[in-house]
Amino acid sequence: MDFTFSPEHRALRRMIREFVENEIAPLAAELDRTHRVPFETMRKLGEVGLLGVCFPQEYGGMGAGEIGYCILMEELNRVCTSTGTNVGAHIGIGAMAIYLDGNEEQKRKYLTPLARGEKIAAFGLTESGAGSDAAAIRTRAVREGDSWILDGGKVFITNGGYADIVTVMAVTDPALGARGGVTAFIVETQWPGFKVAREEDKMGIRGTSTAEIVFEELRVPHENVLGKVGEGFITFMKALDMGRLTLGAACIGGAEMALESAVRWAKTRKQFGVALAHKQAVQWMIANMATEIEALRSLVYRVAWMVDTGQPFTQLAAMCKLYGSEVASRAIDMALQIHGGLGFTRDFPIERGFRDARIGEIYEGTSEVQRIVIASNIFREHGVRIRP
Amino acid sequence: MRAIVVLGRVLDPAGIVVNRRAGRIFVNREEYILPPADRCALEAAMRIKDATGCEVIALPRALFPDDDVLRQALAIGADRAIYLSGRGPDCADDAFMASVLAAAIRQLGGADLVLTGATTLDTGWTQLGPRLAEILDWPQILDAWQVEVQDSMTVVQAVVPADGGYALAEADLPALVTIAAGALKLRYPNGVRLINVYRGIGAVAEALERWEWQTLLEERPTPVLERRGQEFPPERERGVRVSGSAAEMARAVAGALRQRLGR
Ligand SMILES: Cc1cc2nc3c(=O)[nH]c(=O)nc-3n(C[C@H](O)[C@H](O)[C@H](O)COP(=O)(O)OP(=O)(O)OC[C@H]3O[C@@H](n4cnc5c(N)ncnc54)[C@H](O)[C@@H]3O)c2cc1C
Repeated sequence: MDFTFSPEHRALRRMIREFVENEIAPLAAELDRTHRVPFETMRKLGEVGLLGVCFPQEYGGMGAGEIGYCILMEELNRVCTSTGTNVGAHIGIGAMAIYLDGNEEQKRKYLTPLARGEKIAAFGLTESGAGSDAAAIRTRAVREGDSWILDGGKVFITNGGYADIVTVMAVTDPALGARGGVTAFIVETQWPGFKVAREEDKMGIRGTSTAEIVFEELRVPHENVLGKVGEGFITFMKALDMGRLTLGAACIGGAEMALESAVRWAKTRKQFGVALAHKQAVQWMIANMATEIEALRSLVYRVAWMVDTGQPFTQLAAMCKLYGSEVASRAIDMALQIHGGLGFTRDFPIERGFRDARIGEIYEGTSEVQRIVIASNIFREHGVRIRP
Repeated sequence: MRAIVVLGRVLDPAGIVVNRRAGRIFVNREEYILPPADRCALEAAMRIKDATGCEVIALPRALFPDDDVLRQALAIGADRAIYLSGRGPDCADDAFMASVLAAAIRQLGGADLVLTGATTLDTGWTQLGPRLAEILDWPQILDAWQVEVQDSMTVVQAVVPADGGYALAEADLPALVTIAAGALKLRYPNGVRLINVYRGIGAVAEALERWEWQTLLEERPTPVLERRGQEFPPERERGVRVSGSAAEMARAVAGALRQRLGR
């Protein structure tokens, strides 16, 4: 067993740390206040290669693997959950679906510009009637010669308001449903029939675009079918496995930020004649936060290593996301408590962190759904089939 | 044209805590960084490369236990880097290193320009550049904020502090220029180069050479410094708060200064 990061991953973290401190941290408060997506950050991240961090170099990526990608997500979320989310939707699910199941031609045409950050991706799964129950989607794709005609729409799509490419899941055979009747498509948002219907106004991650998108007789060439016709559900679930792992990594960053600020404040703030650090109630909160963060870190990077070494990890990815989002929420809650009244004001970034952390327990599968995934995997080994 | 950039490493100050009472420096995180002035020198070298297409070769400013700074330079865009291996004297000071570097430059077949940081962050040594220029018998420009090589590639121009302002200094190539900390913002490394150079694959990794420093010189250079021990500098005195109108405060400050200077 060797738990050390390789020299390239240490160097990558150093580079990313410097980048986020200089280019991203100074914008975080403003993005939140003005509800603005930082396009300039996405461009800069692309220029240095970070938007292709985990993809192979032959497709314009950096080739730093899943561990490299987890480092990126951790460091981004240390300073700005919004930017972390934009990047996560782009790399972790949008482009990831093309990387996992795209053919050579699709990888050259779509993955390469995505990895270089010349184009931005989104991942279109959720619909108004299909959230946790993703198999209940209604967006329809009907074959017409060499094309498919898409009708329907998606809601809550991160990057949806400005993405160039959206991977979309649509029903191709209603009789078969999720088992054989659902197909994934690569959709260019410039094609006629693609529309952005509305942008959500959110409590947190306000530097992200969460959009409703609509397809009206949108013609998609057959060559843009991602993976096999009828197997879209598998493609999407595989992408979500990756997304969930890296969301766990993102949560390490958020929780670390909370711990760092809590420690700083406990050292500075004096009450009853001493710094808060000398109060056991505060010490215990700090100790709990630090312990949970370390446990999360061990879990996340072990699973990232499993991905890079080709081992199955679905069940563990759900654990990363479940545990990560809850650790991050608890950490920021304790950090806010340690900051007292000031933590509740907009003068401190804790308040933003508190609002930003909440989404972790909801998107890419709620905590309840993660528990269902974990439990059904456990029970399956014992011959019991769980239905969500 | 060929530019050499000489780079060092220092312990990241963010990872250490100085405890005066215990008379010790506690290292919480042993991480090394490029010192600020060397970062600027590397950026200056890259800008000259952008402008002239010159070759950039990175050399270490000391005999380091590993080649990390050189890999960083390659990731940023240096064409070659040479790690100097082998045990040096106990106090491998700037005088010693200047001789070693001069020998390395000779071994490379010479260069047109040497850039390095004006000072390091840990020891505060400033003599490496000037001593190296002396040995090479080249002109030197110190503490530059900006460097440019003329189109003719025979002259280097640099902006240097002078009399409370700035002056434009000029030297015929080959020359040596030291760069002030904070002068330039170092660009980010290229992701692919970074991964490949640290993983040891591809052309960028092959651009890192290892030379045994002792093979470069016939005679072992002697350092001028000798390490006798280490001590904290004297504790800084508390300042005095002045108040009142601007004129009163100015008078108080002037009075205090006069008293200090004994005038
Ligand atoms: C900011 C944001 C960004 C998003 N980005 C994307 C994106 O890029 N792409 C995309 O496709 N989607 C995206 N989503 C959608 C997100 O994944 C869904 O919101 C999420 O999966 C939950 O679905 P829902 O909102 O319909 O909630 P519902 O499914 O209606 O769930 C409501 C509640 O019921 C619980 N629940 C549901 N079923 C069960 C069950 N069987 N047992 C126990 N409890 C259950 C849930 O856990 C939850 O607490 C995003 C959402 C948000 C808010």
